Parts: sequence; C-alpha cells; structure tokens
Amino acid sequence: MIFSYNFLQSFFKEKLPTPQKLVDFLVAHSFEVEEIKKSGEDWTLDIKVLSSRAHDCFSHLGMAREIGALIGKKIELVKWDPKEDRGAKTANFVGVDIVGKKSCLRYTARMACNVKVGSSPKWIQKRLESCGFRPINNIVDVTNYVMLETGQPLHAFDFDKLSGSSKKKKIIVRYAKNGEKITSLDNKEYKLDASILTIADEKDVLAIAGIKGGKKAEIDKNTKNIVLESANFYSTDIRITSQSLGLKTDSSLRFEHEIDPSLTSFAINRAAQLIQEVAGGEVLTGMVDVYPKKVFQKKIILNLSRLKNILGTEIPKSEAIKILKNLQFEVKDLGKVFEVIAPTFRLDILIEEDLIEEIARIYGYEKVPNVLPQGILIPPKRNEMFFWSDFCRNILKEAGLCEVLNYSFVGEKEKEIFRFGNQALELENPMSQNQKYLRTSLVFNLLKNVKENLKYFEGVKIFEIGKIFRKEKGQIREKRMIAGAFAKIKGTEKKQLFYEAKGVLDSLFSGLGISGVWYDEYRPTPEDSNSFLWNIGKCAEVKTSDGKEFGFLGEISPAILERIGVEYPIVVFDLDSEKIYSFASEEHEYRQTSQHPSAIRDLAILVPQNILVEEVLNKIEIIGGGLVRDVDIFDIYEGEELSGKKSLAFHIIFQAEDRTLKSEEINSAMKKIIQAVEEMGWEIRK
Amino acid sequence: MEDKDKILREIEGAKDLSSLEQIYKKYLGKKGEISLVFRNLKDLTSENRIKIAKEANDLKKLVEEAIKSKENQLKKDGIKNQSKKDKIDVTMPGEKIFFGHIHPLTKVLREISDIFGNMGFEIVDGPEVETEFYNFDALNMPKNHPARDMWDTFWLKENQKLKVSSKNKNFPSEKIQKLLLRTHTSPVQVRFMEKNNPPFRIIAPGRIFRHEATDASHETTFYQTEGLMVDKDITVANFKAVIREFFGRFFSKEVSIRLRPSFFPFTEPSFEVDMSCLVCGGKGCPACSQGGWIEMMGAGMVHPNVFKSVGYDAKKWQGFAFGVGVDRMAMMKYKIGDIRLFNSGDLRFLQQF
Repeated sequence: MIFSYNFLQSFFKEKLPTPQKLVDFLVAHSFEVEEIKKSGEDWTLDIKVLSSRAHDCFSHLGMAREIGALIGKKIELVKWDPKEDRGAKTANFVGVDIVGKKSCLRYTARMACNVKVGSSPKWIQKRLESCGFRPINNIVDVTNYVMLETGQPLHAFDFDKLSGSSKKKKIIVRYAKNGEKITSLDNKEYKLDASILTIADEKDVLAIAGIKGGKKAEIDKNTKNIVLESANFYSTDIRITSQSLGLKTDSSLRFEHEIDPSLTSFAINRAAQLIQEVAGGEVLTGMVDVYPKKVFQKKIILNLSRLKNILGTEIPKSEAIKILKNLQFEVKDLGKVFEVIAPTFRLDILIEEDLIEEIARIYGYEKVPNVLPQGILIPPKRNEMFFWSDFCRNILKEAGLCEVLNYSFVGEKEKEIFRFGNQALELENPMSQNQKYLRTSLVFNLLKNVKENLKYFEGVKIFEIGKIFRKEKGQIREKRMIAGAFAKIKGTEKKQLFYEAKGVLDSLFSGLGISGVWYDEYRPTPEDSNSFLWNIGKCAEVKTSDGKEFGFLGEISPAILERIGVEYPIVVFDLDSEKIYSFASEEHEYRQTSQHPSAIRDLAILVPQNILVEEVLNKIEIIGGGLVRDVDIFDIYEGEELSGKKSLAFHIIFQAEDRTLKSEEINSAMKKIIQAVEEMGWEIRK
Repeated sequence: MEDKDKILREIEGAKDLSSLEQIYKKYLGKKGEISLVFRNLKDLTSENRIKIAKEANDLKKLVEEAIKSKENQLKKDGIKNQSKKDKIDVTMPGEKIFFGHIHPLTKVLREISDIFGNMGFEIVDGPEVETEFYNFDALNMPKNHPARDMWDTFWLKENQKLKVSSKNKNFPSEKIQKLLLRTHTSPVQVRFMEKNNPPFRIIAPGRIFRHEATDASHETTFYQTEGLMVDKDITVANFKAVIREFFGRFFSKEVSIRLRPSFFPFTEPSFEVDMSCLVCGGKGCPACSQGGWIEMMGAGMVHPNVFKSVGYDAKKWQGFAFGVGVDRMAMMKYKIGDIRLFNSGDLRFLQQF
C-alpha cells in the first residue's frame, strides 16, 4: 500500500527520520517496504503491510502509530470534531434500520446541509494523488482522504435523491432481493442476490454495502445536503460478495481484513469537520449510531517467564513495558506477570503469544542470541520411502540414466492420446488446457521429454520418480512410481533397446536385493485400459517370484508414437515404487567362492521362434540339477537358413562346492540335458 | 681352434638375439668348434689332454659369459627400442564413461536432508493432493480467512469425505472436504503431530503447487522443505542457531541471518528469515539489490491453535516451524537463472549436474 511521507509527518510535531531511515526502521521491526519514490515535494513509500495488520495499518494514522512506537515518539491528533449546528439534529432527517444484523456490526450516519460541491483544496488533492487516488470533488475527496487517514471507508449520499414518504429519510441496511440490480458510480450494472448486503432507501438499492456506491444518490455539482455513512460490515461477508461479484475496491479491501467497529464515529467526525472546512455548510447536531454489540478492549495476561521461554533471552522488564506502552497498550505490572489491555484497534492481539511477538519485534530479533538446542541424542528414524527412492536413483544414474522431473499436470491432448478417461483428477481452476488434469502416469511426460531431447541427442535415457493420481473405485489414489524411457536414433539393432532397458531393470532389482523377478509376456485383459500404450509383442509384465505384477517394461505402440510425432522406437519401464521398496532388502551375505575348479561346456540349441529363452534356460537348470552353477546365454541367431527357427547358444557352468567334478560326472549331466532338450523336440546343433 | 679375440669380437658384433644364437651354435652347440675340442680330447696324449682341456674349458667359460652379457645388453636395447616405437599421444582424450545424472533439485534435497538429519531431524512425507482441512483449517486458517489469499491455490473438482482425526472439538469429525494441491508442506506438520507426540524434530521435503503465472522466478510446481522442532523449551534463539548452521553448511560459507517480523496464521511470533548475501557478505551488491540480505524462508514459533488442533497441550509444548524453497536454494547454489528449467526435462540442462 502506498503511503505519503508528508501525510505521515502530519501526525508528528517533531521531524520524522529521513524516508530511507524510516524504511530501515520499518523493515527491521514491522513491514517490508517495496519502494521509496520522490513525488514532487513528497515521498511515497510502498509498504507491504502484513495481512494481520491490515485492519489498522491500511491507514496513515495506523502507520504513524507504528512509526511512533519504533522511534519512541507520540503521535499528535489535531482536534477534529466538527462545529455542530445547534438547530437541527441528524436524527430528525435520517433514520437507520439494520435488517441484516449479522452482516452489519455498526452503522453511523451524519448529515451536512448547504454544502458547496467543488474541487477540493490542493493539499488534499496532492495527498490523494500521492496515494494513487484521482480527485473527484471535495465531498468524495474528503471521504477518500479520511479513509486513507483512518482506515475507515466512508460514503456520501445526496440526501435529496433519497426516496422516502416523509421528510425524514430512511436508510435501510438489508440483503438484496434476488435479481435486484444496481448501477454503480462508474456506470456498471450489477445483478444482486439475497446473499449480498446493500444500503437502500425505501425504494432502491443505493450501494453494495462496504464495496461500492450506486448512481442513484451520487454526489454531483448541484448536491446541497449530504448524508455521510461510516459503517462496519462483517469481513467474511464482504469478502464473499467481493469475490462473487469480481469487484475489489479500496473499501472492500479494508472491510475484508476487518476493521475496529469503534472507528466509525471517530472517522465520521473527522469527515464532517473536513467537509465543513472545504465545502462549507452546516453539520447537523449528533449522529445516528446503530451499534448493537459494542466491542470492548481485551485484557491479556502476559507471563514474563513465558516471554523469556519463547524467545530464549531475557528482555528487561522496563524495556518490555516501554514497548507495550509505545504501542498504546495499557500495562499493569503485577510482578511476574503483566496485565495488558490492548487498544480496540489492535484486532490481531488476542493471546499471550501475540504480545510476545509485539515485544520481540520492537525489541529487535537481532538482540536474540543464537543458541543451539539441547536435547537427547537419538539418531533420526530413517524414512524408508526417501531412502529407497534415493537408492534407486543412484543405481539408475550409474546405469547411465538421467533423472528428470516433470509437471504433475497433463492436458486435454494427453487425455485423448492416452485415453485415461475418467480416471484422472481434474482441476477446477487450471492454468491452461494443457494442465487440466493430474497425471495418471509418469509415462506421458517422459515421452514428451524423449521427443524434445531427440532434437539434440542421438540417444535418450531418462527416468523420473514421482507421484501419479487416480480415481479408483471412488477413492483417490496417490502413488509414487518409478518410470524410465530409452530411445536411440542410431546404433545397434532396434530390438536391442528392450534388452538394454531390461538390463537396467535387472541391475536395479539386484541392487535393491530383490531376487526372483521375472518378465512375463504381456497378455492384456479386455478391460486393461493401458493395452493401447504398448506394442503388445514387445512388452513384459514385471513380476515377483510369486507371480505378483508390479510394473511393465515394453516398447510404446507405433500408433502412440505416430500420434506424438516420434519416429524412433521408445522403450519404457513403469514400476510401482511402493511395492518395490517393500520387496527391497539391504541384507547381503558373502558367499564363499568355491575352492574347486569349474568346468564350462557350450551347447547350441535350435528351437522354434515361439519358444522363450526362459523356457530353455529353465530346462537346462532343472535337469542339470545341483552340479550346474550357472547357465549363460551368449548368442542368439535367427538367420533365414534356419527356416523360422532360432539358435540359442549357452555356456553351462558346472561346479561343486565340496569337490572337483570328475569329467564323467559332467559328461553324464550333459548327456541328460541333451536328452531332455531333444525330448522337447528341440535340436542340438553340433 | 679360432683365436679367442676373434670370437669375442664376433660376439660383440652380433646385431640381434638370433645372430647371437648363431654364434652360440657355432662354438658351443653340439657340433660347435669348442664342443668339438672336448669331443676330440680322447684322441690326445694324456699330457696334451690336460693342457688342452684346461684351455678349452677356460675358453668355453669366457665365451659363455660374453654371450650372456651380450644377450642381456641386446634385450635391454630391444625393450628400449620397443618403447620408443610404442610411444602414445598422452594428450588424446580419455575414453568417455557414460554415467547418468541426478536432478539438481534431488541433489539439493539430499543435502538439506543430510544437514538436518545430522542434527537429528527425521524426514516425513505427506500427500500432494490435500484436503482444505489440512492445508488451511488445521493451520489456523478457517474458511474465508483473508490469509488464505497468501497461497494461490489449485482446487480440484473432486471432493472427499474426510474423517478428521483431530482431537479439537472446534473441527467437525467428519465432513465433505474440498480437495486441492497442497500450497505448502505445512499440512505435513499437522498430519505428523496427529500421530506422534513431542519431543521431535522433523523435516518434510516435497512438491508443492501455486496457482501463479510462471516466469523466470515463479512456478506452478516447486519444492519446499518444512521443518518443525517441538519440545518443552525450544526458543527463537534455538531457531536462529539451527537455521544459521543449516545455511552455513549448505552454502559452505560463514553466513549471518536476520529475522524480520512476518505473518503466518500458524506461527506466532512469525518471521521472515534473511541470510547475508553470499556474493558480497552483506555489504550490498547487485546480487542482493544493494541490500546485503537475501530473503530465504518464512518461519515462526508454532501457534498455540495449531497445537490445540492436534490435541497437544499448548501450555506444555513449544517449538519452531519453517518452510524453505528448495528451488531457490538450488538456483542460488548452482547460479541457475530460470526456475522453469527444473521441470523442463531438457537434458542439455540436466546433464550438467
């Protein structure tokens, strides 16, 4: 909010510190200051008033009080009650009727007659302009000026424009009727409803309460008699109405933050006095003041030991009392405690801690020493999720993958391509159509990353660990996934990409101490909503030894690639991290290397195309039994001359823990293996 | 028999190991000249035999030694020559090893977690889709509280019935809740306190969301680390010390910190934490817009209402809470000028870490 330095100075007899010095004080003890600017003979300060202090510091008087406390100077208020005309009373001309009592905490009205509407004097105009207000006429300018001065929004009605049957006009504070309309001072029409509080005469709505005045009773150059309104409206109602109408004004801003109801009479007197000064006329005697529930000052007990315990340092008692008194609190020193009475304009002061903050900030946090806490020395419990996520990141990094982070959002286009349908959570207020839904899979954005990066790189290997969001059976599921993508423009056979990714997953699982993971052929069920994503023949379900699926590895379907505009195959893995972490284990035991030599025999087998390598491997291992320590596949060949078959070549490693195997033992085992293989109808290549 | 000196000259003149081998054969081989002398000894008279045998023996020894020493010399020369021939260009680049890369935000999060972990802080986690209750109400921000404006919020179309496990009677125990993307990591405080009792020290790093137009320093999606330490006597002075330690370690530099008054509904007193500028050390420079200080985080002493909302005795427990922007820490540490790079997926950026 913009403040005028000269305006602030007007509350002090003594000269204020320079604008820069003043700003330093404010920044250290009260508020941030965005900007200091020279403005003619004045300076303007853009002060970021904290929202908890808006109720009193959205005003020059409030800010002056704050400054007074900081520099230890008292503020001086000029005597500002108007000279009242003895003859007539406001109450004889104006009546106030509050129907919406819940929303209107106080309504104060005053009347001035025979004013002369014109432009206001230069000093008012200058101060208004410094604060970003456009001068209009002396009456309106005074209401704005007093709002800037006291923080109390005011409004002036042309008395003679009010409808009413008798000489005495009625101002009614009531909720609008559904469909009722008002044309505002700036000629905009607003359609109202029954939730909106208005100020009305007997016939029409005159103003949207606390937000904006209407055209009907506008002050114009012919206005003679005016009714001044100084009221207090319930902050939440003003906030809701202002939001629903999309109408934020200087008045609504202040009411939204709540203002002290005590302020209305104080401000209306100041306004009446100024109107008298700048527009002449007579101010009628007294005011109409409907104030159903008067607010009182709050009494709060401040424990001095608590003050010390929160801050971690002792502030001298005399210092604490001085600070509170400078802030216009009343303090009674009862020895170990203070009995503090907060002024009504400090709506934010409710509890002991609020007082502690007041003392601490004015005293200065720089005077609080740095003291490391004392405590029982217990190592923190490990967060398994963070631990294993990092574990995975390290392995994937070592395997050459680069970690990416993507937005949690996906758009309409992704919805169409990836068909996640109603599974996705939708934002009520997205930033754009491209960010309308929460991602149901990490894969979508990874594919985008691949596409973008292939412009600059010949190969891309990336992964992300992050959360996805889904609606499942009416429940909202938030799940952490690990997903990765591989793509290559040049290089080895395209088929190799799948195995490269599979190799990475194998290292990941082995690093995590998860054994027995296997890759099952992907056989989508009809209701599987993801089947379109994969190139079915090149996709595996990743399963635990007991057959539980916890992820997928496969090539993205050509149809999807075409839609997203990528010409190269992309292999993707997508794993449920929570499951992985639950399988992971740090247990690791050294297995003694055998003292006895191993023997390697090679075997090449010709099998039909549809036979999986795993089947052959399993066969060899099962038949070979305990003597076979390991079987490695070292060559796969699929040439035309094999007429639809493939040749698999294995190293079979024989070794025993307890003895050197005799060649007869190995030969007989090999014989059994060969026999079993041939029984399957597979052919041994010699 | 050949002249001794001639033989030695011949050995000396051998160019390589194979000609040396030839010389060996010529004199000492089975049919070598010296070997023949021994073989013919039997045909000599005993007197001559002794004399000649001695001479032959001496010669054999001499030749053997000469050949041995020549052989050693030739081998040495050979190695020397070979190394000369095999010389490599040591300035050629090494073979590249392709490691992957860890995201800079992950790196910074790890560092933050390590520093606080070493000070005894436990890492806790919470959901990114939150209820209005945990994001606002339980943090002393009831519906329509103007302070809610401090957090521009993404709202979801979905609602959810939430059983509030709150022990405070001010909150309804079951209520339809509006869902949102958490605007800060502070809800994790509440969730943790509902299930645990003091004393404790925790940090809660995680992704948060703000409904804000993006530019080089604003993002809709970024990371924050929440911190919370509660015990019977945790003070502002403790906070200052812990947080200075943290910044000092993180930036590997002696730093000073400054607290300024601030407002958060869930802390009282509340402060903004500034750190002395890393570039100028506090004197004022372009990096800190001449101020000497850089705003780092919001913090404060936990508001009694927050303790009450989780059923703690606010008279008995006290402590500090803070929230620090991880992206900003990373930007400062690595001198990154645009916050949007973090979510760009651009490997030209990511491969630098």
